[in-house]
Amino acid sequence: MSLTMKLFSITRNGNRMLGVTSRFMSTKEAKDIVDVPKGYVYVNNKEESMDLNDVTDRAASTIFLAELMRGFGVTLAHIFKEPATINYPFEKGPLSPRFRGEHALRRYPSGEERCIACKLCEAICPAQAITIEAEERADGSRRTTRYDIDMTKCIYCGFCQEACPVDAIVEGPNFEFSTETHEELLYNKEKLLSNGDKWESEIASNLQADHLYR
Amino acid sequence: MFYLENLLFIIGSLLLVICVLVSVAFLTMFERKVLGYIQIRKGPNKVGIMGIPQPFCDAIKLFTKEQTYPLLSNYISYYFSPIFSLFLSLLVWMCMPLFIKLFSFNLGLLFFLCCTSLGVYTVMIAGWSSNSNYALLGGLRAVAQTISYEVSLALVLLSFIFLIGGYNMLMFYKYQLFIWFLFLMFPMALVWFSISLAETNRTPFDFAEGESELVSGFNIEYSSGGFALIFLAEYASILFMSMLFCVMFLGCDVFSFSFYLKLTFVSFMFIWVRGTLPRFRYDKLMYLAWKSFLPFSLNFLLFFVGFKIFLLYLL
Amino acid sequence: MFSILTISSILLLISMVIMLLASILSKKTIVDREKASPFECGFDPKSSSRLPFSLRFFLITIIFLIFDVEIALILPIILIIKFSNIMCWTITSIIFILILLLGLYHEWNQGMLNWSN
Repeated sequence: MSLTMKLFSITRNGNRMLGVTSRFMSTKEAKDIVDVPKGYVYVNNKEESMDLNDVTDRAASTIFLAELMRGFGVTLAHIFKEPATINYPFEKGPLSPRFRGEHALRRYPSGEERCIACKLCEAICPAQAITIEAEERADGSRRTTRYDIDMTKCIYCGFCQEACPVDAIVEGPNFEFSTETHEELLYNKEKLLSNGDKWESEIASNLQADHLYR
Repeated sequence: MFYLENLLFIIGSLLLVICVLVSVAFLTMFERKVLGYIQIRKGPNKVGIMGIPQPFCDAIKLFTKEQTYPLLSNYISYYFSPIFSLFLSLLVWMCMPLFIKLFSFNLGLLFFLCCTSLGVYTVMIAGWSSNSNYALLGGLRAVAQTISYEVSLALVLLSFIFLIGGYNMLMFYKYQLFIWFLFLMFPMALVWFSISLAETNRTPFDFAEGESELVSGFNIEYSSGGFALIFLAEYASILFMSMLFCVMFLGCDVFSFSFYLKLTFVSFMFIWVRGTLPRFRYDKLMYLAWKSFLPFSLNFLLFFVGFKIFLLYLL
Repeated sequence: MFSILTISSILLLISMVIMLLASILSKKTIVDREKASPFECGFDPKSSSRLPFSLRFFLITIIFLIFDVEIALILPIILIIKFSNIMCWTITSIIFILILLLGLYHEWNQGMLNWSN
């Protein structure tokens, strides 16, 4: 194992170990040969040195197929590396607190829904996926009677979340909500509220983690 | 007695062929695993234990796929060329050298040359009879590549035949008792390996398929069984080429277990090359065959004729 | 001879049975004209695929033919070494291979091996 790691490091640093410096000619060197305009960089290859030493080096690396062997070394070393695969349904990759997944409507701790039907999210939604209808409730507060999101129109830009003054509509960390029919992706208020109840702890901790930057 | 003898031959060969078919299945599995680990991922690991029954699932999937009936094709030749292709790559296994129970031809290497030369026709007919532009172009590419490399293949093989003085593969065992030919003629081994890569249409010379940048080649019109048979034939010939490499360069001790380990390693080399090298350019492929390998193998042939005469003179 | 013929026919039988198995097992669907037309980006093919002819590939085939015939001539040289005068054998085979080699260099020199002109 340590041998393969050694092989790997050699193959990675092969150029330096073989004493080959940059292959490109610097602008200063090129000035002797060709007129380089100001502000331009000369990027052509260096003239190959014709010292016996360097010629022998190059010949040796050609004869012993050095580049080919280095390539084979790299792939052989990769075989023994830990695979990046994760066992998906059972293991999941890390998610940022700002991850924009499935939408949810939140409630206050008292159980009252946060949304005040200001319709800012409906106005800002670039895909026009949100439809809101509002009415005055019996206790005089302004609430929505209808809050629909067409998840097949939504582009998950997160503008609704940014626009919301009371943190009611948020995009939660859930990204596994595929369905078999189109109709199931036309979310109504009930579905969004139940999402909010289901994911409240995650959403709250994510908002807490990110509150300094909002 | 005569019938019993023949029956034994037939049973032995059938066993060999069945084992070859099974190992072809596992070679595809091995390839996907090794390529996976080279690309820092795992490859198939869900089916059964560590994904080992995966090739059988693949086979079931392939065979239950829909078979196409291309309208413009010459259907008989279109239908039979995959059959013939698999038949040839199984038949070439008959020249596998063993002291007992298998045929062990006196002219085994000649038999091998005949079978590989015939393999070109199946590709050509498969490409031509599909009667599609892409299939025809793919067929042309594959045929031109295969025949170009076949010349060098035959010449490299001939220099070995000069050295061992016969076409019997078992002679390789006798001549490699003390030192493997791999050490005796290392450049030859490299050239032979590249030629066998090109002959079996493997990366970096996989212009017959080239699925990542060209439309798939001569087999574009094939689905289901036809495709599966072409696939089986290709992998069987890869295994045969690895076997031949072990025979020619790695000691040819067919009766020992280590021979089969070496065989596995050489097939691993085939996959390793696929995981490492990018595809060649077509004109460079042709130049490599005609301007590099052919002069090389001819010069070496001349050298080995001289060497043989020198040996005879010493004796 | 008998057994190699038998085993070849058995192998041919195996391959045919596999193909037949696929034909029987394969999912039956409605034969569609579009599906049965040659693969070409959703179009019907504009030109016949049997007409185009590439001289480049043809020339490669001619060169291949020459070399393959020469290889067929070299094949028996190895076996007749046991029955022939060693001097004659040496001279014949070396001159033969030299001619092949010089022929290759001549073709190379004449630009026959260039892929694109």
